[in-house]
Amino acid sequence: MTKRNLQAGEVSGGGFGLAALSGRDFQLIHRATLEVLERTGVFVEDEEALDLFSDGGCAIDREKRVVRIPPHVVEDAVVAAPESITLYGRDPKYDIVLEPGRVGFTNFSEGLQFVDPRSGERRASRKQDLADIARMADFLSEIDTFGVAVGAHDVPEPTAAVHNAEAQLLNTCKPVDAGPLNRQDVHDIVEMAALIAGGKDALREKPILFMGACPVSPLKLPREACEVIIECARAGIADNILSMAMSGASSPVTIAGTLVVHNAEVLAGLVLAQLAERGAPVIYGSSTTAMDLRLATASVGSPECGMIGACIAYIARRYCLPSFVAGA
Amino acid sequence: MTESGVTFDCAQFVLDNEMARMVKHVVRGVPVNDETLLVDDIHAVGPFEDYLSLDSTLARMREPSTSLLFDRRVREDWEADGGRDVYVRAHEKALEILDSHHPEPVTADVAARMSAVSARADAERGGD
Repeated sequence: MTKRNLQAGEVSGGGFGLAALSGRDFQLIHRATLEVLERTGVFVEDEEALDLFSDGGCAIDREKRVVRIPPHVVEDAVVAAPESITLYGRDPKYDIVLEPGRVGFTNFSEGLQFVDPRSGERRASRKQDLADIARMADFLSEIDTFGVAVGAHDVPEPTAAVHNAEAQLLNTCKPVDAGPLNRQDVHDIVEMAALIAGGKDALREKPILFMGACPVSPLKLPREACEVIIECARAGIADNILSMAMSGASSPVTIAGTLVVHNAEVLAGLVLAQLAERGAPVIYGSSTTAMDLRLATASVGSPECGMIGACIAYIARRYCLPSFVAGA
Repeated sequence: MTESGVTFDCAQFVLDNEMARMVKHVVRGVPVNDETLLVDDIHAVGPFEDYLSLDSTLARMREPSTSLLFDRRVREDWEADGGRDVYVRAHEKALEILDSHHPEPVTADVAARMSAVSARADAERGGD
């Protein structure tokens, strides 16, 4: 066989990727976002969050509850958030590293209805349904973490998030993505997970779950989202700060403008997390799509949903943050 | 999920898993190096032989994508095997998983203490 010596490399690519945005596009979106955060500001409902923003060097309008965040505070928070997050399964073969550029999959979350696979009946989802879906997620090879596929409607509504987490944690050995709605939910879910992990310190060391908090578009951090962001940061649990803008309705009709509003919301949440606990793990989340302006519905699974997801993944990568984007 | 994320369907979940597997196959990309260019094999096979029994083919026979759900057979073979469409097969797979897959449980003690947490939450703030 003819000898073929090693070739010196060019840039090592090694994989398919989408070039959704250019570096220049990112810079323009980033600068526009910094301008919006400083000039327009974000509505922050929670008192403790307002105090944290204020102590962190932001300008606060207490009456209107509007926080204006200077660019250096944003940049500092982006640097402080870790680039790599490791989640642990109840079974170590499911331990997983979340990092910019690594592609993985999870299920779509927070469904309301369930098609019973035996009867074919479509009905409001129950706690047992979530437990059954958790077992499927445990089995299916490409599902890395398990989110609240459907919520339990056969439990008291104020504590449904706790019941959902219980069904998740008991029925899959993969890391879980819990959906707390307020401070008390976070406390209860952390307490449950700590029972499995062997205490709260052990859970902080090897978290078997992450959680999520959603700003409300445009540019609002409601009280409950603030509570979840602050409590997750303090517990050392990664928080998926996930914007659900709807292009054409709760964010501009253009994807570029939507990315700015989206970015401002997520970065405002990220700043709050870092002010609560510097170095807090944060996932850059998105479940943003365009409104079908003809039908007035949010079209998840549309071209725009995929395009926005690809743009968000790129933006998060530029910020050196793991990302989480929707598709259905 | 169906209806833009409102309704969960078990068969769809199995299909999604299969599509995710295919996406990952694409994301791995096209490695280009001497081990993959295989110029010596191309030279050895020339214009009249085939690549089926080459060492390089055997060594990498598990690399090409394969589908467990999407049927790649010709129509006649698919029909002879019942002609079940992909949703039907995904549904069967979902039922098989639900019937047979039971992840390692937590200990009874931990489960009881977790249940106590949700029961306490219900009592304290569960409403009526």
